[in-house]
Amino acid sequence: MSSVKERADLALNNDFLRKAVRFTTERLRDGKRKAADDHGNWEEWRERGRQIRLHTIAHLDYYLDRFAEQARANGAHVHFASTGAEAVQIALEVAARKEAHTVVKSKSMVSEELHINRALEEAGVEAVETDLGEYIIQLAGEAPSHIIIPAIHKNRYQIAQLLSREAGEELPPETSVLAGFVRRKLRAKFLEADIGMTGCNFAIAETGSIVLFENEGNARMVSTVPKTQITFMGMERIIPSWSDLEVMATLLPRSATGQKLTVYMSGITGPRRTADGDGPEEMHIIILDNGRSEQLGDPEFQELLNCIRCGACLNACPVYRHIGGHAYGGTYSGPIGAVLTPALNKNVAEWDDIASASSLCGACYEACPVKIPLHDMLVYLRRRKVEQGYGNKLETAGMKGFAAVTSNSKRFHRALKAGRVLQRVVVRNGEISARIGPLKGWNRYRVAPSLANQPFRERWDTLQHELRASVAQTVTGAAAQERMKAALHKRAARPIDRKEGHSYDE
Amino acid sequence: MMNNEYNDWLKTKEAEARKKQEQFMDRIAGKLKRSRLREAPEHPFRGAPMYWRELEWSLEERLARFEDNFTAAGGHVARPADLEAAKTYIMAKAQALGARYILRQDDPTLAELGLDEALAATGAKVSVWNGHRSEAWIARAAEADFGIVTADHAVAYTGSLVVQSAAEKGRSVSLLPTTLFAIVPVERLITRLGEVLQTFDAAGREALPAGIHFISGPSRSADIENDLTIGVHGPGIVFALLVG
Repeated sequence: MSSVKERADLALNNDFLRKAVRFTTERLRDGKRKAADDHGNWEEWRERGRQIRLHTIAHLDYYLDRFAEQARANGAHVHFASTGAEAVQIALEVAARKEAHTVVKSKSMVSEELHINRALEEAGVEAVETDLGEYIIQLAGEAPSHIIIPAIHKNRYQIAQLLSREAGEELPPETSVLAGFVRRKLRAKFLEADIGMTGCNFAIAETGSIVLFENEGNARMVSTVPKTQITFMGMERIIPSWSDLEVMATLLPRSATGQKLTVYMSGITGPRRTADGDGPEEMHIIILDNGRSEQLGDPEFQELLNCIRCGACLNACPVYRHIGGHAYGGTYSGPIGAVLTPALNKNVAEWDDIASASSLCGACYEACPVKIPLHDMLVYLRRRKVEQGYGNKLETAGMKGFAAVTSNSKRFHRALKAGRVLQRVVVRNGEISARIGPLKGWNRYRVAPSLANQPFRERWDTLQHELRASVAQTVTGAAAQERMKAALHKRAARPIDRKEGHSYDE
Repeated sequence: MMNNEYNDWLKTKEAEARKKQEQFMDRIAGKLKRSRLREAPEHPFRGAPMYWRELEWSLEERLARFEDNFTAAGGHVARPADLEAAKTYIMAKAQALGARYILRQDDPTLAELGLDEALAATGAKVSVWNGHRSEAWIARAAEADFGIVTADHAVAYTGSLVVQSAAEKGRSVSLLPTTLFAIVPVERLITRLGEVLQTFDAAGREALPAGIHFISGPSRSADIENDLTIGVHGPGIVFALLVG
């Protein structure tokens, strides 16, 4: 497997990808901001959303059990899968029993986790993605690079080429023509498919209903036309009631695309009723763990299960905006992916260094509609990796050395003095640009400043005198002057403990 | 018999699933370091914030907001004074768009419209959805130029139509045709999403239809270079007729 850095380099050298990802994420981000402002009291809604998700996850055994029982009462067949492989096995069994030739799928991140398409193809079943973006990347043989806009990295010429191959004729790179071709092509697939597969945005415990949010209508198609429906659902997708759905329906579309509501929001409660003229005759719901329950009871990561998969953290993330989704190397990308991918995988040895590809600026937390502290979680992941001995050996040695030097004032100041002498070899115009030692990584893209000839601590006594003298002149207003004087007085009154390591003299 | 074998298989799967379900719940409780929860926990944060539940617009404001939102999403809104005016409107569109196949739900409001005879007179083929097994309903819907439904509710704040499935109200009617017409008697137009959603809680599981669909404009996608495309799978033209 390639490293995060290699994948990021690949992305950074793809000019179109960078521009497209940047354009789209900025548009989505601005749309979200406007939608949140228009709605008003956004912080209150975020908090509400967070509380509902916290409550549900804290009582997940009750709600999930309730959902399963109610869904069965509706006539659905409910299955539980601990691992992705188990979920795939169940779906393949259903397909085999139904002697299915064709499966149509609407967008589902869980099914991406399972690589169900490949498994179906291997079993001789045609699997067709029907979300326009998913269909495009399926034809390209790629994985989605954004939760909401899967083909964010493809331009219309590439798309026209892919679709032309499918059409057997040259299609012009015009959106309406391309989309029109896909409509006709997939319409036929919907009508001939034996099984429709969906994901699940929310599952309502009290009535055993699943809720799907979408704009194209393909999720409605796959849950209306084929005779059998299979729904994949992460075990944490639960909310207690339809009333709670109002909060999620307020947060999710606004955070994802800036819409007041997606074009379609569908609540599906069991298979078709006996007298109904359409809808699936048989409905299977496969509930997946695949590492999710690992987060329960873990104070650092339990909130990860609150995620509603809106993609707002991707759009807010300065790193994602530069490197795009594929550089993350997993099913989920962006800040949520950087945390979720390793968190779902218990084996720390298999973690790559994606958690390090973040500046920890916290924009993801600000954007998150349910306030998941992703930037904190990135730090926890880094710590766990190092604690379990999978850190960078050189870095560990360096940190130990740094601790040894800086925890003792004498050693620290001796090191600084030595540094000031030794740096003369490499300093040019007050900067160090040589890529040597610990500066190798840093100086690849920038230059390091040199150590000052006279350290701040040596200058402090002089500076303090100057400051005292200037207070009376520069601070205007009696009250402000009083405050400054009081502060200075207080500082002067506090004895300086020369042993604390803050002094400079040896 | 093949069917029996299949049902036996389903039963085996259910037994497996129930066993697995117990393992799942035990694991969750174990991870949360407590015993299994068997009763519904108190849920103090249920639903929207309190202040929000007090929002209720006047009919005029509901009409205006619905129109703004639905139009902004690319839908069309008309406000015929009565069913007769709605019929005239639909007839005019049928002529303008050259509609030849029309499918409608079977409900009293639409029957009262008297569209069937009027459209048939223009040479169009009108089908009325019902649960009769003999008809290939999905094929009827797929070939239809117009699908005509009565909305069960409409929501002003989000600009949404709400349609619920039933034997005489197929889900396909609002999905497969090229153009969708939804008749909305104005008394069904409410302010907030929550007003509709809470009726599903109140009704309870057994009262819910298989499909409840909120429709907020024409089918759309921006998956090709952010370029907005209308009608990618569902109807590309959607009319909401607020009647009354």
